[in-house]
Amino acid sequence: MNVQIDTALKRARGYWFVDGFTEMAAGGLFVILAEILLFSESVTQAPFLSWFLSVTSEIVVAKLIGILAAILILWWLKDHFTYPRTGFVRGKRVTATQVLAVIRNAILFLFLPILALLAASLLIASARNVLASMPAWFPFGLGLIWGGAYLLAGEWIGLRRFRLLAVMMMLAGIAIGVWQFMMGLPTFSSDTQLGNFQPIGLETINRTLLSLGFLILISGVILMISGLVTFLRYRKENPTPYAEES
Amino acid sequence: MSGALQDLSGLDRVIHEPARLMLVALLSSVESADFLFLLKESGLTKGNLSVHLSRLEEAGYLRVDKTFHGKIPHTEYSLTAKGKTAFTEYRKKLDPIIRRNPRAAKI
Repeated sequence: MNVQIDTALKRARGYWFVDGFTEMAAGGLFVILAEILLFSESVTQAPFLSWFLSVTSEIVVAKLIGILAAILILWWLKDHFTYPRTGFVRGKRVTATQVLAVIRNAILFLFLPILALLAASLLIASARNVLASMPAWFPFGLGLIWGGAYLLAGEWIGLRRFRLLAVMMMLAGIAIGVWQFMMGLPTFSSDTQLGNFQPIGLETINRTLLSLGFLILISGVILMISGLVTFLRYRKENPTPYAEES
Repeated sequence: MSGALQDLSGLDRVIHEPARLMLVALLSSVESADFLFLLKESGLTKGNLSVHLSRLEEAGYLRVDKTFHGKIPHTEYSLTAKGKTAFTEYRKKLDPIIRRNPRAAKI
């Protein structure tokens, strides 16, 4: 028997994705989040804070309910479809320390640079230009980050289709960035002050949210298609639950 | 005896058997798994799998938890702390041998 330890390790790690359900659920959640972003009211001058709180609370509620629903649906589907066909696997327990580390890294990696840029834009003219071009570089950068994350995850769990997903997400980010750039970018006026969002600043925020909404939507659709193809292949390979040989 | 052969003789014989190595590798990256998963992933026959699982359990490398899903019996297998340590040690001992002889990488 030609045992390859690493292959066995990766196969067991990637078992959660063997049936495509996880990708379909994640894709569905992405589509719902994108819908909120794309169909929420645009940012307006006066009630910026109320708008921000409204959209943020919608997204948080949708995420919490969506994740909870997705977990319950996944649990049921796997219990009734996957485990009787190819067996049950209990994944490694995630410790609170690991969860905190992931949250900390996400904040450091995603939010701190944006917050720093926002702060710098109030003081430095060139930073304002960078902030004004956010509708173009934000989806571009996020697409690259997501793509990179999928590549790493694909290597970790040994799933080749994740490479394709990574490339598609990177291309989606680049395409949206180029599209926003081609539309022409807004510019900040020099007297922009903290808390006083000029129309041009509001345009930047609205267009960045639009870019983000489209990126999440496209990523969601890509994940759903990938999940569906995986599910159909899994069902073809394992048409019936495992039965004892008589 | 050459250095490589001396190294090989120091490997854990319980884990070194290819089928058991596959089972331990599969279980090392999850909390636990049931018989059907191990059967499908290892490609062993049911009889063979049972024998190898018993051997690992006898060595103290495997914990067997028997429960019921409704009226259906369900058995989960997981590595014990001793089993995890043995697998880590096995890989540590194997790595230098593979580095010295790249043709052995496909084990």
